[in-house]
Amino acid sequence: MSSTEQGTSSAAPAEPTTAPESAAAPEVPESFYYVHGKDKVVHKVSAGALQHSALIHGMISNLGYTEEQAKANPFPFENIDGDILQMVVDWCNQHKGKPTPPEDTNLPKQKEKLFDLVLAVNYLEIKELLTYCCKQVAMMVKGKSPEEIREIWMIPTDAEDEAAEKEAKKRAGKEAAGETAAAAGDAK
Amino acid sequence: MILSKYPYLVQNEILRNMKCSDLFLLSFVSKNMKKLIKSSQRNRFRRISSILYDCWESDQPYVSIFYERSRCTMMRIVKQEENGKYDFRLNLCGKRIDFRLSDQCNYPVAMFHPRDKESVIKSIHNYFLDFFGNSVEFYWRSENMNYLLRPCTWESPFFIPFLPQLQNLSLCVSICCIIPSWIFADMNKLEKFFSASPVLKSVFMKVRKTTEPFNPESKLYQAESVVIDQDWLTAPDILRYFKGRQAFLFSNNYEASDLIQFLDRWKSGEAFQKLEYLQIDVVFEYIPKNQILNAIGAKYIDATKTPPTHSVPKV
Repeated sequence: MSSTEQGTSSAAPAEPTTAPESAAAPEVPESFYYVHGKDKVVHKVSAGALQHSALIHGMISNLGYTEEQAKANPFPFENIDGDILQMVVDWCNQHKGKPTPPEDTNLPKQKEKLFDLVLAVNYLEIKELLTYCCKQVAMMVKGKSPEEIREIWMIPTDAEDEAAEKEAKKRAGKEAAGETAAAAGDAK
Repeated sequence: MILSKYPYLVQNEILRNMKCSDLFLLSFVSKNMKKLIKSSQRNRFRRISSILYDCWESDQPYVSIFYERSRCTMMRIVKQEENGKYDFRLNLCGKRIDFRLSDQCNYPVAMFHPRDKESVIKSIHNYFLDFFGNSVEFYWRSENMNYLLRPCTWESPFFIPFLPQLQNLSLCVSICCIIPSWIFADMNKLEKFFSASPVLKSVFMKVRKTTEPFNPESKLYQAESVVIDQDWLTAPDILRYFKGRQAFLFSNNYEASDLIQFLDRWKSGEAFQKLEYLQIDVVFEYIPKNQILNAIGAKYIDATKTPPTHSVPKV
């Protein structure tokens, strides 16, 4: 489990506390890293838990952070809402060093939360969690009619797609004309 | 939740986790969505080994998709109920078709009015050809195997299958008739059915007796593969007129001369040029094996040598 506290990405966080993860003491002391989302709340996460995220794991491997440096500079994920990052951190902690089960029933049921979670998980490159989330998104339209699917996933109609395409072409044409005019102006 | 806001790889992963029946329905949401499904699921669709229209004593097929080791029901096509109720209507290759969804089934149910049956099935099939690609094999299997499970009644009507004429479709038919009263009355009907059908991919026929032989030109003999379980007439006739690739015969009615003549004609290339596999099971009668082998001049393979082998794919 992780604990959270208010902090900033630039300031070193105060000592966050961690709940005991196992009754048996680990043979090698585990290293911890710190991450925060849009809300600047810092989460202390073990290196083992962070292994789920290919992005963070790559950052750690490439930067060669010591624990002190990591504490002073939490990884900033400004594009991820605090509550979503909390969910991700919790999931990584719960599945640390364990084989991932075929199903995960603890994912958010609300559409918007799940949507944000998918984007965050994709950004952080957490493959297993992304698979669970995508399964859950797929389940939302199971046995639904095409119109119901359109509503749930907000898929534009053909007419809306055509209008958007026309608009995009018009915009691209204007931009191209603007660039030509600018180039002609430069030439003069 | 706006699906299009997801990166392509995420959209792909979501689609990968959807059942084919749901992808089929999703493809009607918009042209762009159909394009996305077809491009992102190309590899998955390539793994489809076949699509089967499976009819059990009816002309209302279940449509199933077969992968290497799994099968999933994608749809059922049924006769419309008299109340004409439907949940939604879709346009498949220019034909408007009514659909129902129910909690009991995990797949949509397409409906046809009896006068529209062929055109509805054709439109659905053409949509599948476009959606899943031309490389998928399509089968139509029509069976009345339930005859074997039912108590013997004299009133059961003989089942003559409905076979549509569709592009890229192989037809497989099972005909079981073990109730004695149906032996005589329906053979004409059966012959008519074969003559009106296109050439069949496979025929499974379990009939106790036929009173008359099939016409030597019958399309029964042109089927690629036949399994015939019968006491009298047709099984020996297969040894004279069969033009397909594989035959599995279960009968008690073989004369040694039938078998010798057949083997001579096969060996000499006079007939059965396409035949690649033949299995004959004789259940009760004694077959004079040595007499037959001597008559055709069979040569024995040296027991110490490994004989050549040739694998034949099952039709």
